Amino acid sequence: MSGAARVLVVEDTPTQAQLARALLAGLGHEVMIAESAGAALVAARDWRPDAILLDIELPDYNGFELMQRLRAEGITTSVIVVTANASINVAVEAMRAGAVDFIVKPYAKARLSVTLANALEKQALAAQLSAVKARLDRNQFFGFIGSSAPMQAAYRTIESVAASKASVFITGESGTGKELAAEAVHRASPRMGRNFVALNCGAIPRDLLESEVFGHVRGAFTGASADREGAAKLADGGTLFLDEIGEMPLDMQVKLLRFVQTGSYSPVGSSRLDRVDVRFVCATNRDPMLEVQGGRFREDLYYRLYVVPVELPPLRARGDDVLLIARHFLAQFAREEGRAFTGFSAVAEQALAVFGWPGNVRQLQNVIRNIVVLHDGDRVELDMIPRAVRRAAADEKAPASAEPVPPPLPEPVPAARVVRPATEATAEGAAGIVGEAAAEVVPLAVMERRLILAALRQTGQDVPRAAALLEINPSTVYRKLQGWRAEGLLPAD
Amino acid sequence: MSDLGFAAQLAEDLSPDDLRLVLKVFHADVQRLTGALADAARLDDAAAFRRAAHGLAGAAGAVGAARLEEACRRAMAGGETLGTGLAEVTAMADGALGDLAAFLARLGPAT
Repeated sequence: MSGAARVLVVEDTPTQAQLARALLAGLGHEVMIAESAGAALVAARDWRPDAILLDIELPDYNGFELMQRLRAEGITTSVIVVTANASINVAVEAMRAGAVDFIVKPYAKARLSVTLANALEKQALAAQLSAVKARLDRNQFFGFIGSSAPMQAAYRTIESVAASKASVFITGESGTGKELAAEAVHRASPRMGRNFVALNCGAIPRDLLESEVFGHVRGAFTGASADREGAAKLADGGTLFLDEIGEMPLDMQVKLLRFVQTGSYSPVGSSRLDRVDVRFVCATNRDPMLEVQGGRFREDLYYRLYVVPVELPPLRARGDDVLLIARHFLAQFAREEGRAFTGFSAVAEQALAVFGWPGNVRQLQNVIRNIVVLHDGDRVELDMIPRAVRRAAADEKAPASAEPVPPPLPEPVPAARVVRPATEATAEGAAGIVGEAAAEVVPLAVMERRLILAALRQTGQDVPRAAALLEINPSTVYRKLQGWRAEGLLPAD
Repeated sequence: MSDLGFAAQLAEDLSPDDLRLVLKVFHADVQRLTGALADAARLDDAAAFRRAAHGLAGAAGAVGAARLEEACRRAMAGGETLGTGLAEVTAMADGALGDLAAFLARLGPAT
């Protein structure tokens, strides 16, 4: 560590305290004096010094006890014990108690300077080591759960790229958390105070996509009764996330390319050129290079956007993350649903661990929600796990079996445009179904089933999102589905 | 021989004003703590005597008043009566204050 440090001097003798203050100030450090161990503890907590110069004999309790209390509170500031010649043994004891060094009175400025510099360097190295260890061992990162090597690599890439303005291209199968990764890029960046605008290119009719991105002026097209800002404007200063970028029509790709190159665009129906400062994050579950080779994605746009790739691994490649995530969801859903579950039995864990999870984290999330809603107990037992998962897991262990694995869940269709922090969810699809069905009067139970199934279709069988669209609890959807299966109105899982 | 040998080192490490301030605080510490020693001896309060002697040893050690510091530590060890300890510490303290006055005179007036 170089430059000024904050040094807490714990000393009840005014001469010693004044001398230390004068020497440390002369070395360019900031100094605080504590005349008792109790005052030192408070100062260490509140002032967060970089080093503590500690006399052992203090009026309330001694320096050894103070070091113990500091450690108990998780305060790892380097402590240098100040001792008289006669008490070298005390200094050795202090080192054993956790002091990084000791200094014998009377001490010259040069000696103090060297001792303090060593202690501060040790402190800085320990902090760096602890930060590196935390990065390598971390099992959570901006909403992601997982400590596997491929996820650590993804975390590192996100973290490294966040501070720059470079475009990020996220690839990964459905359900691997591409939008979560895009949000992580935004939240780890200096743009986090501004909007994160997510636009699903696959969910927006091609005629409306340009207006969604660039906005429109009144009268630009039929129904454009007022000016409307597009995602580009809303994301000014922030991040624009273009999900399913591969679905963008080629003519729109040309306009996007110009926007990416110049930072300027014209709202639909206007010749005005607006300029914004936007960071682009894109995602697709396809191989973007294959899309380029197939002529479905412009090569020049690809090279503009594919600056920093982030590849999210499928859940089957994440080893122990499966159980880490399963436990996380179990705790969360048990809390939400008022269930007693605290864990999984060993065989249940084994079944979850060997299953291939073609729908990735989203599928695992749905399975755990399903278990929690339909069962209760201290532990999740094997027979609580949906049959399809158990069967496929058994097949994994006995590969001779030809039983099919449940198909991957399709990518859910999210709201076409989402601006965060504003929580604005569109229910256009569900509203359309209501309108369509309104002409036909059917029993309420039939209408309820139709609506729930329609919401599930629209969200790619994502129960929590379907429930959110319907403004009901996900557990209601699970219970309804179970009931309909029992009545034979739906095929068994 | 002066009992403030280390003060010469301090004169190299500190600005004259800072050094004067440290020595002024030392002067105040000596007066306060020798008073506390005398009170403790009069009341035959060994614990208070030891605390004051420890404080004075620390102050003396800081500025390198070695003879005063040693006297304080002997007094703290408690091998003699409090009165004997007090007499020795007081004598050394007087000597240190005398040396201090001479040292300050050599430093010249404050800026």
